[in-house]
Amino acid sequence: MLKTTQWIVVTLVLCLSVGTAFSQGLAPPSSVTAMDTPNDDGSSITIKWDAAAEGSGISGYQILRQIAGGDLEEIGELLPAGTTTYVDSAIEKGTAYTYIVRAVGETEATVDSEQTPLVEGTGEWFHTGKIPLLIAMLLFSAAILWNIYDARSGKDIFVRRIPGLEAVDEAIGRATEMGRSILYSLGLGGVSGVATIASMTILGQVARRTADYETPLRVPCRDPIVLNVVREMVKTAYLEEGRPDVYNEDDIFFVTSSQFAYAAGVEGMMLREKPAAIFLQGTFYAESLILAETGNSVGAIQIAGTDSEHQLPFFIAACDYTLIGEELYAASAYLSREPMLLGSLRGQDWGKFLIFAAIILGVALELSGTGWITTFLQRVS
Amino acid sequence: MKRQVPLVLCFVFGIAMIFTRFSPHSVSQWIYEEVISWVLIIGPFALVLATVTLIQTHTTRIRRRTEHWQYSLVVFAGLTIMVVIGIRFGPQNSIFEWLYNNVQLPMDATMFSLLAFFIASAAYRAFRARTFEASLLLITAVVVMMGNVPMGDFIWNSIMSWSPWADKVSEARQWILDNPNLSARRGIILGVSLGVISQSIRIILGIERSYLGGGD
Repeated sequence: MLKTTQWIVVTLVLCLSVGTAFSQGLAPPSSVTAMDTPNDDGSSITIKWDAAAEGSGISGYQILRQIAGGDLEEIGELLPAGTTTYVDSAIEKGTAYTYIVRAVGETEATVDSEQTPLVEGTGEWFHTGKIPLLIAMLLFSAAILWNIYDARSGKDIFVRRIPGLEAVDEAIGRATEMGRSILYSLGLGGVSGVATIASMTILGQVARRTADYETPLRVPCRDPIVLNVVREMVKTAYLEEGRPDVYNEDDIFFVTSSQFAYAAGVEGMMLREKPAAIFLQGTFYAESLILAETGNSVGAIQIAGTDSEHQLPFFIAACDYTLIGEELYAASAYLSREPMLLGSLRGQDWGKFLIFAAIILGVALELSGTGWITTFLQRVS
Repeated sequence: MKRQVPLVLCFVFGIAMIFTRFSPHSVSQWIYEEVISWVLIIGPFALVLATVTLIQTHTTRIRRRTEHWQYSLVVFAGLTIMVVIGIRFGPQNSIFEWLYNNVQLPMDATMFSLLAFFIASAAYRAFRARTFEASLLLITAVVVMMGNVPMGDFIWNSIMSWSPWADKVSEARQWILDNPNLSARRGIILGVSLGVISQSIRIILGIERSYLGGGD
């Protein structure tokens, strides 16, 4: 009995010695911290530790997690040796966790770090990484608001000539004289698209004039919501001009939601009805040139406008006038000449000036070897 | 009241959506997703109204026997067939899929392929070297085209073999795309971005209200 006991003790001591010998080369991961991941909705915890020294014999790390009062569990895959950060995204909000980083040696020996204090994932109300973006937005908004406020005093605001918008009256007049209709396409954008809303404001101005001149205005729509909004606003425009009798609801109609079927439908209308004036305003994709070229072939005066920079060359090549990018958004102010809207245009120009100044300053600083403005602007974007 | 309610809603939701952009909190993300869902819910209701207008438009065309009114019958035939099969058997039905793959898709592809011819006719007008700018555009376009098309290198090198620009067409094309082209595009994008912000501020604050119809 004594011999057996001695044998067991010796075996245990031997095993312990071998285990210790294997793990002697492995240092436990140091400076292990677990913290709530910043700028997220509280759905993750970030664990960090110091990189192991070269030749430490560590082949990887395994993260172990424990809920207060629960068992330790391995999470995720074995991380490569150079890793120093792990984001645990599989947590439950409102539950506290503690972590251990286990270093795994080349001989599969392991050594654990100290257990981190309990930590809980909490969502932040403000993303601190977006402070530069907020500053830029506030600066630009302030410039616009100041100019709107300033415009209310009745100061005369200069707005450069935009030929595409100057030609609106010409196009409507031409259609009226020729006794033909006007075709207005709002493109493929949905009602939430800013370009579509800008297009609607132009349509509102066009509708007021067509109401006065009794010129048929045809509006084929691709989006059902846009259709309903447009019907309502054109109807109001006719009512306000005192010509509800001229308004024809059937002239504003749904074609289809399919891109090329819409293009085919509008193209067919152009060829059959031969409108004297065509407005292509809003968001367009590959169908832009199909529509613009067909409009050109029927001899209509065409005024296009889009913020899709890839489609602009097509419109410039095929249309008589093109509103380039921001000009589309300036249309409402330009056509209505309302001081507050014009003020916002001047604010927009201030924004451009700020960007221009930042570009010049950035180039000058980069050339002189200072890169802080580049870093700042990268954070803004 | 008819105007005030949309303006107040526009202000509240506009500010809420800006807030969600800067707040990663689950509540703000919930608001964002909820608002997007509302937009999706409005869609089908609007689609019903849109379909009614489609039927009205084509019924009128048939009744008045306007030019090419027969095509309106095709619209009704297509609409009826797709709606009946789609509702009765679902979009995974083999007949529905066959019609989609063998009727709608080829027609879409046909329309898309027409673009090549329209590009040719538009390019012909744009590249006529009548002015200095048009001439510059023509030369640039030739270089970019040579650099893009598979035979371009061969043609360029055959013609320009005597000159120091031989074997340089791909580089020239890339330079044009990376420098003057990209600079112009970025300028437009900057302008568009500022325009979008300005327009959004006007809409949120109720200064821009013409989209509601009429003036005040």
